Amino acid sequence: MDMPPILTENLVSAAGEVFEMMIGQSIEPHPEQPHQPPSGWGTHVAASVSFAGHRSGLVCIHTSLDTANTIAGAMLGIEPEHVNGEMPDAMGEVANLVAGSFRTRLAQHEPASAIAIPTVTVGSDFATKYAADTARVFYPFRMGEQSIYFELLLMQR
Amino acid sequence: MRILVVDDSSTMRRIIINTLNKIGYSDYAEASNGREGVEKLASDAIDMIITDWNMPEMSGVDFIRAVRANDQTKHLPVIMVTTNAAQEDIVQALDAGVNNYVVKPFTPDTIRERIQAAIHG
Ligand SMILES: [Mg+2]
Repeated sequence: MDMPPILTENLVSAAGEVFEMMIGQSIEPHPEQPHQPPSGWGTHVAASVSFAGHRSGLVCIHTSLDTANTIAGAMLGIEPEHVNGEMPDAMGEVANLVAGSFRTRLAQHEPASAIAIPTVTVGSDFATKYAADTARVFYPFRMGEQSIYFELLLMQR
Repeated sequence: MRILVVDDSSTMRRIIINTLNKIGYSDYAEASNGREGVEKLASDAIDMIITDWNMPEMSGVDFIRAVRANDQTKHLPVIMVTTNAAQEDIVQALDAGVNNYVVKPFTPDTIRERIQAAIHG
């Protein structure tokens, strides 16, 4: 199953707007990067929000721990090295903002889906597996020198 | 002017509170969902509410309905700050009794304008 272009376009534009407006960082698509988050990140942060209704699936943001701390620091107005327990909540809110903006954009064309509250996973060696009848695409981005992957998962109906 | 900020994300509460501080409102209370918001309103003298929509336990829309159903709180100005910006969401929020609406992601200037509009009538 392929990812419908309308979903890709709206996810990419939602992500760019959230980073620009709420984090004060611009992000650029970076197709030369590997098409999956690299295994050499050390500690990996994955923040996701699922949606259900007219379409069902999941939006997830993958970064290294350093990048997650940079993002949290930018949102809170503190230095990344001073970010501590705030990071999971901040990354969960980034996922919520991107998924919510994605949902609102799609609702201009089709019935709105409902979105769930965020889940954040932090660890050094994990993989997420989903049912076979899904489309799953990673979108590599750069934020300055740092890499960010947005993942979109769509359930087959 | 004591402002109750209700959001399940402590990050988003901090962003809103930082904006309130910048525009001269330093008296605030916090709650992490609608149920906690109802409890705060019962125990604290609140003059304005800023609430998220998507929260566990009690959503922002259910919280606003509870605020409007209570004689002690039904007059309070309520600003909703949410990613839910489909036409049907805005209709639902207005029906529940919201006074003003801020769509996330927002700039600090937008939130400042909406708060000032709500404060000055
Ligand atoms: Mg929320």
